Amino acid sequence: MGDVFVIIEHRRGEIRDVNWEMLNLASQVAPEMGGNVVSVLLGSGVDEFTEKLSGACDKVLYVEDALLESFNADKYQRVLSSIIDEHQPKIVMVGHTAQGVDLAPALAVEKDLPYLTELVGLRIEDQKPVGVRQYYQGKVNAEFSFADADTYLFTVREAAFEPMEANQKGSVEKVESPLKEELDYRKFIEYQEAEVGDVDITQSDVLVGLGRGVREDKNMPLMEELAGLLGADMCGSRAAVDAGWLPHDRQVGTSGKTVKPKLYFAVGISGAFQHLAGIKGAKTVVAINKDPNAPIFAEADYGIVDDLFKVVPKLNEKLNEMKG
Amino acid sequence: MKTFVCIKYVPDTSEADVKLDETGLGVDTSRFSFDINEADNYAVEEAVQIKENHGGEVSVLSIGPQSSEVTIRMALAKGGDDAIRVEDSRIFEHDPLAVAKVLSAAVKDQDYKLILTGCMANDDGNMSVGVAMAEELGIPHASMVKQVEVLDEGKVRAYRELEGGVMEVVELTLPAVLTIQTGINEPRYAPIKGIRQAKKKELKVMSLDDLGLPAEQVDESASKIKLNKMYIPEVEAKAEFIEGEEPEEKAEKLAEILQKGGLA
Amino acid sequence: MRRFVYDTYDQEMLEELSRLPEVWDCTGCRTCEVRCPKGLKPVEVLYALRNQMVETGKVEPTVRDALESVFLEGNPWNKPRATRFDWMEGLDVKIAQEGEQVEYLFYVCCTVAYDPKLQVVAQNLVKLMEKAGANYAFLGEEETCCGSEVEALGEEELFQELLEENTELFSNYPANKIVTLSPHCLTALKKYQDLKPEVIHYTQLLEELVREGDLTFDGEYSKKVVFHDPCYLGKQNGIYEEPRQVLKSIPGLELVEFNRSRERSLCCEGGGGKMWVETSSQQERLAETRARDARELEAEVIAAACPFCVLTLDDAVKAVGHEEEMKVQEITEILGELL
Repeated sequence: MGDVFVIIEHRRGEIRDVNWEMLNLASQVAPEMGGNVVSVLLGSGVDEFTEKLSGACDKVLYVEDALLESFNADKYQRVLSSIIDEHQPKIVMVGHTAQGVDLAPALAVEKDLPYLTELVGLRIEDQKPVGVRQYYQGKVNAEFSFADADTYLFTVREAAFEPMEANQKGSVEKVESPLKEELDYRKFIEYQEAEVGDVDITQSDVLVGLGRGVREDKNMPLMEELAGLLGADMCGSRAAVDAGWLPHDRQVGTSGKTVKPKLYFAVGISGAFQHLAGIKGAKTVVAINKDPNAPIFAEADYGIVDDLFKVVPKLNEKLNEMKG
Repeated sequence: MKTFVCIKYVPDTSEADVKLDETGLGVDTSRFSFDINEADNYAVEEAVQIKENHGGEVSVLSIGPQSSEVTIRMALAKGGDDAIRVEDSRIFEHDPLAVAKVLSAAVKDQDYKLILTGCMANDDGNMSVGVAMAEELGIPHASMVKQVEVLDEGKVRAYRELEGGVMEVVELTLPAVLTIQTGINEPRYAPIKGIRQAKKKELKVMSLDDLGLPAEQVDESASKIKLNKMYIPEVEAKAEFIEGEEPEEKAEKLAEILQKGGLA
Repeated sequence: MRRFVYDTYDQEMLEELSRLPEVWDCTGCRTCEVRCPKGLKPVEVLYALRNQMVETGKVEPTVRDALESVFLEGNPWNKPRATRFDWMEGLDVKIAQEGEQVEYLFYVCCTVAYDPKLQVVAQNLVKLMEKAGANYAFLGEEETCCGSEVEALGEEELFQELLEENTELFSNYPANKIVTLSPHCLTALKKYQDLKPEVIHYTQLLEELVREGDLTFDGEYSKKVVFHDPCYLGKQNGIYEEPRQVLKSIPGLELVEFNRSRERSLCCEGGGGKMWVETSSQQERLAETRARDARELEAEVIAAACPFCVLTLDDAVKAVGHEEEMKVQEITEILGELL
C-alpha cells in the first residue's frame, strides 16, 4: 500500500495552514507509490472538519473521542500507533510544529520508523522516498534516502509548500478509538492566551526596527501603522531609544537585545556594526534607507534606496489593500 | 531531586557564509566560533534554578569532542554538580533517534526526576532528541516549554509555547523530559573564577563501550536514514534592490514580495 | 564609598547598590583621579564593586555576552577568532616571526580588527609603515584581547588570565616597542608587569617618524579640524602633544582647540565597559555635548585617536543633526587621504 497519511493539526476550532500544504505535497507523491492521500483527524467534535478536508484528499479517516478533546501527544501517539498497524500507510506526515515535534519523535521510536524532520523537499525514486531538509538555519540543504520500510515518518516544514486547493470529493470513514481511559501521567490543564503586555522582542517573529532616519517623534504613528499591518513588534537602534521614541528594552544591538525574527524590517537604520550584531539571527531583512551605501544593505535580503517618508505611506496603503 | 540537562556544542553560523567540506557530507567549520547551543543554555539555567528552589543536584550530559569541555565547565560553574561527556566516533549524529539512544543509555540506571534538553539545536534543527529520549526511557514528556513549576506530589506543571503565543498547560508525573524553549529565563554569567573552581567537579568521559551500548545500535549502519549529500541552496545575492520610477512602485513591489513570502 | 563596601557583604544590598548609576555609568575616564587633591582613585573602588557583581553571575545580559565572548573567542564582539585578521585581506602585511626582533610590534585592538568602520585604521597604519620604510610587524593569529574592558567590567580573574596569556605571547616576539592602536589597549598593556618592550600608542610613533622626516605628506587636507583628547590617551597616559604634532604636519590642516581640551577633555562615554552597558542617565550624552562644542567652533572634522571615541562621536554628530557639515575621522583616516 502506497498511501500517504497526513495527520491533521487543529486547535480550538481551526485547521492550521500546514495541513493544506502537506495535503498538496502528499497529492504529488502518493500517485507515484500507487496510493491515496488520506487525512487523519483525531479529536472530539471534529466531524465538522471532515467535509472541508474531504475536498482536498482521497479519504478522511477520523476518530471521534471525548478523550481526544484537546491535543495530548501521548494519546495521539496511541491512536496513531494503532491506525498505522491497521492501515499500513507508506508515508505518514506531521507538521513540524509545536504539536508535531511533541508527537513525532516518540512515535518514530515506538514503531522504529525511518524518520526525517522539517522536510523542505520530498520526491519518490523507484517507489522509495528521498527527502530534503536543511541545516544551519537554512544555509545548507541535505538529501536523505532511507532503509526499506513499510512506513516512513516525516515532519514537514510550514510554508514550504503551496496549499492544496479543495477540488475533490474524498470519502469519509470513522475509525473506532482505541483509547480506554484517561492517562494519569500527562494531563492537559488549559490553554492560556498570550499576555498582552510587556513584549520580549528577543522572542518576536516580526520586528520593525527604527533608526535615526525616522527623525522625529511625530513620525511614530506612521511607523506604528506599518508595524500593525505587518503584525510586528517595534524595536530600534540606540538612536531611536536615545531620542525617546522607544523604551530601552526595545533597543537592539551589542548594548541592547539580540533578536531573531522571521522578518526584520529596518526603517532609517544605517546598520552600524553594533546594531547588526543584534539582528544576525533574523531570517529575512528588509531595509529602507536613502543612502545606497548604508551598511544595512549588506545584511538585507531586500532593499529600497529612497526616502522612507515617501515609501512607507505607500507601503502601508498597499498592505491595507491586501488585507481588505 | 536530580536533574539531567543535555547540552550540545554547536557552531555559530549566523553571520558567515557556510561552505561544504571536502567530503560533501559536512560543512567546513574552521572559521566559526563554537559555543553551547542557545536553547541548551536556557535549559542549564532552568535546571540550576530548579535546584536552587527545590534542592537536589544537576548533572550535565553532552555528546561532544574534547574542545567542548569548556562549555561543560561553564555549565558546571553555573551550578551543575557533575558531568558526563560522551565521545565516540561511531555515533551517527545525523540521526536524532541515535543521539537519543546514547543519551538515554547514560541516564537510564540513575535515580533522576527530570531531564531537560533545549527544544532545538541550532545546527540541525531536528527538535527531536528530548522527546525521543522520553519514549526510550518510558517516561512522559512536554516539548517547547516556556515555564516550569515543580509541584509537590512528584509532579511538574509545564507551560508549552504554541504558535501565536498561546500556552498549553500540562501536568506530568515525574520522572519526565522537558524540552526547553529560549526566553524561559535569563541565563546567568559564569564568572571565570567559578569556571576555574568547577575544574574540581567530576567530568567523566565515556565511550559507547563505557555506556554498555553496542555501537551497532547507534552507528550509521543501524540508522534508517542515509545522508546522500549536502549542498548549498541557491540564494539570491545579498540585497535585492527593489527598483522603480516612483516610491509608489517600489512600495508595491515590496508589498507583493512580503505577501508572497507569507510575511504580510 | 566606605558604606558601599561594607554593604556588599549582604547580597541583596549588593544588587541594589549595583543598580546605582554610579556603579555602571562610570566610564573610567579618571577625571576624578586627575583632579583629586588627595590623590585618591575612586574608580578602583567602583571596579571592585563591579567585580563583586560579576562573581555572583548577575550582570546585564550584554555584559555577560561580551565577557563570554572574550573568554571563548578572544574578543568582546561575539566574532570568531578565525576572522580576526580578515582586515588584512588585500594588503601585504609583515607578520611577526617567532624569535625575530623587530623595531615596532603592532597590537591591533579587537574593535579595530572586527568593526568594518574601523578596520581602515589598521589598514592605513600598514600603508604608513610601508611608506616610512619602518621596521615593523603585526602579531599574527595568536593575538587576543588586551582585557581593558574586561577589567573595567569587573572580571578581574579573566583580566589576569589575559595578562598572563599576552605576556607569554609577547615574550615570543621580541621588539623594541609594542605599538597599540587603541589607547585602551595602551593602558591595559602598561599594566602588564613583565613586558620587556616599551608600550606606546601609534600617535607617538607617527610623531617620531614625522619629526625625523621619515614620514612626509604630499597633497592637501584643507579642513578645520578639532582634536578630541581621548581620556585613555590623555588623562591616563599624559599623551597630548603627539597627536597634535601629527595633525599639524598635514599641509592645509587648520587645527583648533576645544575649550575643554587636554586634561579637561570631555569623555565620550565609550570606555569603562560602556560599549556594552547602557547609561541610565536621562541627560544628553556627553558625546553629543562634544559634537555641539565642535559645531560651535565651526570645525569640519573632529579628529579622534581612539576607536571608541570614533564610534560614540560619530553617533553623536548624527544625533545632533550635524552630519552634513561635520564628520568624525580617526587620525589615520585623515592621513590615509594623503597616501
